[in-house]
Amino acid sequence: MDFSNAPIEIENLPKLDDTELKLISRKYLNVIVINTLIVYVVLFSLLISAKLISDDVAIQQYFWYPFFSILGIMLLNIVLVVLAFHKRKYAVRDHDVIYSKGLLVNSVTTVPISRIQHIEASRSWLARQFGLATLNLFTAGESGSDLSIKGLPEVEAKQINDFISGKVNGN
Amino acid sequence: METNEFSEPIRQSSKGIIIIFGVNCFQFVKRFFVLFIAFGVSLFRKSSFANLSPTILVLILIGIVLLVFVYAVLKYLNFKFHLVGEDFHLSTGILNKDNTIIPKSKIQNVYIKQNFLQQIINVVSLKIETAGDNKSEIEINALDKPKALRLKKLLFSKRTTDGVGSEVNDEEVDDVFFRASVKRLLLEGISQNHIKSFAIIASFVFGLYYEFEDFLVEFGIGEQIENAVSINEESVSTIMISIIFITIFVLLISMVFSVVRTFIVNFNLEVVEHQKTVEINKGLFNKISLSLTPSRIQNLVIKTNRLKKYLGLYTLSVKQAMTDKKQQKNFVIVALEREQLNYLVNRFLSDYSLIKDKYKPENYYLRILALDMFILTFILHIPAVLVFGYNFWILTLVMLPFMAIYIFMVYRKAYYSVSDNAVTIGSGFIDTTTNILEIHKIQAVKLKQSIFQKRRRIASVVISTASKSVTISYVKEGTAKNIYDYLLFLVESQDRDWM
Repeated sequence: MDFSNAPIEIENLPKLDDTELKLISRKYLNVIVINTLIVYVVLFSLLISAKLISDDVAIQQYFWYPFFSILGIMLLNIVLVVLAFHKRKYAVRDHDVIYSKGLLVNSVTTVPISRIQHIEASRSWLARQFGLATLNLFTAGESGSDLSIKGLPEVEAKQINDFISGKVNGN
Repeated sequence: METNEFSEPIRQSSKGIIIIFGVNCFQFVKRFFVLFIAFGVSLFRKSSFANLSPTILVLILIGIVLLVFVYAVLKYLNFKFHLVGEDFHLSTGILNKDNTIIPKSKIQNVYIKQNFLQQIINVVSLKIETAGDNKSEIEINALDKPKALRLKKLLFSKRTTDGVGSEVNDEEVDDVFFRASVKRLLLEGISQNHIKSFAIIASFVFGLYYEFEDFLVEFGIGEQIENAVSINEESVSTIMISIIFITIFVLLISMVFSVVRTFIVNFNLEVVEHQKTVEINKGLFNKISLSLTPSRIQNLVIKTNRLKKYLGLYTLSVKQAMTDKKQQKNFVIVALEREQLNYLVNRFLSDYSLIKDKYKPENYYLRILALDMFILTFILHIPAVLVFGYNFWILTLVMLPFMAIYIFMVYRKAYYSVSDNAVTIGSGFIDTTTNILEIHKIQAVKLKQSIFQKRRRIASVVISTASKSVTISYVKEGTAKNIYDYLLFLVESQDRDWM
């Protein structure tokens, strides 16, 4: 049941497996962790303020149950986020851009450069503090075929941006 | 380009006032529908509304109608369009003047439509769709049909420098390729998936019920229904009989609904072949005419089911790039015969060869299907336990064969095939669906794999075009990677435009 087709030797095609995918900047892990922490800080502060303000016996008595469950979920979430971070990889080849992500469900998306409509580099406030940028590649397809590579070093984002822009406009 | 009847700014046909007026009145009534009902009910009850006498109310109504009419006239007077060289100009707006200029090259599609009112006064509306977001479309409400056709032709005609080829008249090679007969449309309606029709009716009835809940309560209809239901609650056999009766009734209604809907939407369905494009004409109350350009077609979806296959009925949906969702559903040709279908597919996709090698997904797919069904059954059991108590196993008994048939059918119909110019993917449960896309239309390719699949070395390939994504599900990891590399190689090496 293996796939084959006569005139082109599958073996000689450029292979996904032969392409070495690069990890995004390690600094981006800080951004992810901070973003995750912000959510939990908000949750915890809500919980604690409820304990301080409310006179409800139930909240006073059972305070530690939600506290520890949120703490547990937070730790699990951070572990997953850190593990998943090492799956965020990318590569720019002559004719396409590859981006891979996801721990539980891993996906490797490739967009041919000839199909890119436009490209933009954006930088959030937090990412700027670490000198990082996000590269967004837009295709004509549905949103599912757009690529967004987060956490690239600014210099590299600019280089890739220039390289792809040159190719897109050159056509 | 030499001067033509559109080179000076002109208004649409003066009948346009009636159309604008009609459309605005309709929108007005639709928006305040609930208010009107409330109005009627309280008039009926107290012969007054918010302390206003009926005479004043009628006067207010006449005033509103007059206002809408004046608005329509002004809108008509301020709506002018013309063609200058390669650009289409349109100026609109009563107070805020808008001037829109569209280069011909940016025009994606031109539709000619005719709603019920337009049919009565014998005009058509012309809709121009451009690439870009959904809002950027233009509609000219009232044009004489010949004029609309001439404008459409001018909008589509490209400036030709050599001048020789441009005179080939598209109209001359007109050939009505397919015309759906009344009999075939009826068959098409009957053999449809009635569950879908039922869902539409049910949602409509529920929507209506919630909208008018208060009024129904006021009239005591609710109580009457409840009384009627409580009588039937006397014995189990009456329940069974009434359930069977209701099921048959609902089925019948759904069937009639399907037939009527198919008939209204596809009345006089015609497929006309031009030299470069294929035109679809259809509709009873809303007549529409659409042109399909093969180069813009991204995906083809063929649908049939067991019954339809037997009757020789195939449905072809054409997915074009950048058409809005509402228009998308009009690009459907129903009741095609097998040969006609094959001919059209070949017309739309240059040298699409019939698939020789069909490959099946791995057995892992069966496991996924079974898991899906298991979760569904589990969720369904929660209300069942609440309603039937210990007798919930009745549901299990009903669900088991359904689950088995579902898993069996879905797996049996799933296949994929990759040739050097097209990808074909089959799927479906009751329907048999075939998705076809040309490889040079691919926008992105994605390899998907969960950690469970990684252990078993199984993966899926998601292929996106400009109009939709299709998935080759659960094949061996090596095969998936081969397909992935192969598709990318073809897209990148051919350097063909996707549009």
